[in-house]
Amino acid sequence: MKKILVVEDEESLRLFYEEELKSEGYEVITAQNGKEAIQELERKNPDLIVLDIVMPVMDGMEALGRIVGKDRKIPIILNTSYTGYREDFMSWAADAYVTKSADLTDLKEKIRELLKRGSAR
Amino acid sequence: MKNMVAMILAGGRGERLCPLTRDRAKPSVPFGGIYRIIDFTLSNCIHSDIRRIYALTQYKSISLHRHIQFGWDILSAPLGEFVEVIPAQQRINEQWYQGTADAIYQNIYTLQQEKPDRVLILSGDHIYKMDYRRMIAFHLEKGADLTVAAIRMDRRLSKEFGVIEVDRDWRIVGFQEKPEEPRCIPGDPEGILASMGVYVFNTEILVRRLIEDARADSSHDFGKNVIPAMIERDRVFAFDFRHGDRGGVGYWRDVGTIDAYYEANMDLVSVTPHLNLYDPQWPIFTYHAPYPPAKTVHAEEGRIGTAINSLISDGCIISGGSVKRSILSPRVMIHSHSEVEDSILLEGVDVGRHAKIQRAIIDKEVQIPSGMEIGYNLDEDAKRFTVTGSGIVVIPKWMRLEGG
Repeated sequence: MKKILVVEDEESLRLFYEEELKSEGYEVITAQNGKEAIQELERKNPDLIVLDIVMPVMDGMEALGRIVGKDRKIPIILNTSYTGYREDFMSWAADAYVTKSADLTDLKEKIRELLKRGSAR
Repeated sequence: MKNMVAMILAGGRGERLCPLTRDRAKPSVPFGGIYRIIDFTLSNCIHSDIRRIYALTQYKSISLHRHIQFGWDILSAPLGEFVEVIPAQQRINEQWYQGTADAIYQNIYTLQQEKPDRVLILSGDHIYKMDYRRMIAFHLEKGADLTVAAIRMDRRLSKEFGVIEVDRDWRIVGFQEKPEEPRCIPGDPEGILASMGVYVFNTEILVRRLIEDARADSSHDFGKNVIPAMIERDRVFAFDFRHGDRGGVGYWRDVGTIDAYYEANMDLVSVTPHLNLYDPQWPIFTYHAPYPPAKTVHAEEGRIGTAINSLISDGCIISGGSVKRSILSPRVMIHSHSEVEDSILLEGVDVGRHAKIQRAIIDKEVQIPSGMEIGYNLDEDAKRFTVTGSGIVVIPKWMRLEGG
């Protein structure tokens, strides 16, 4: 079973993603901020990361650089409602970008795509 | 050139220059009496109107940091000009720089802040005089994403360089890193085009390719990874150094070994050196401490203070000894009846009475005791000092020597 790490500071959203992705047949682990995400990355070795940008403690941009430093190949989806992020060079290190929405079709699609690409490698 | 920043890779360990690099990074190694190697690259920037400069350091950077702090406080911060030393900060991840490309990648936030249109990437290890404006004009004219400065070298040296293959338009069609079997220059089977490690990048392409490289299996090096990966996809051109060579004689040295360092210094005491330090339009800036003028004293039979075919820096006193074909950094003291020939003496060296030195490099603050001989019996010297293949004796900084 493919393991997805969802990094999101808002609890209700975190639970929502967790449920939705579990029902797609993924194992889901969660983290509340970038710092936790890095700990979870090291402990649980996920196959893909869904990463929010604006979070307390360590934001998604900083986490992105550190994640790539620890695991160059892991697919990362930036999931955000904040639109200015592409100004941030580090955001270019993500494999895909999804605008936060109650409809997760786009996110699920991107996850499938990236996991497929990953297993083809 | 307000829309341009320079990033100088100044982290080179220069292991083959040991012991001169025992206490300092290679860009900080003294050269030509009063300079440090990095002064040449920094001076090129200033004369090319590039005045937003970062020097990226990582190993043994204190000496370089001090030199830049004291010697390079010549720019105007209110005008947006600076030379700033950035030590490895582990801002992006927790590692030292893995390669030249990684050094820039790890400073991506610096580029983010400045948002220049183009980035000039340089090495702090090389000695040459180049007008980068010519290269930038070429880069713009060609609509290039990346331009790499190239110099003709003998093909036998291919294993030391990134070798560039160009088409008729100087677009790069091949890049081999240190090949045994290089692609030669068309019509010049003995020549190769070597990369000088001088790159002009459009910022967006640079950042995208660095990020891709950071996420790939790679040694994170421009010459090995980033440039070869760009050739097929992007507009990558070579710039002929001859069109930007301020000296006009193709002078460019990577003083990578003690022997090369020695030869490059000794060139300066010849009547017409290849490296011209006397161009009034292209002075080499450096740090000058307020030392008094160089002085020679004593002129009696058998005790004459003389220096011939030599560079003598401020603060030196040649007191009744003789100096021939040598380079003396500031504050060197030559005592009576001593002889110094074909040697490089760095700052604060003191040569005692009746001492004899030939073909040696003596690092800072070493006191040569009275009567000691250096460079006359290499087997004996090799017991205590580094002696190179061509017989140059190197005495490291602060080494304490007993009377001979």
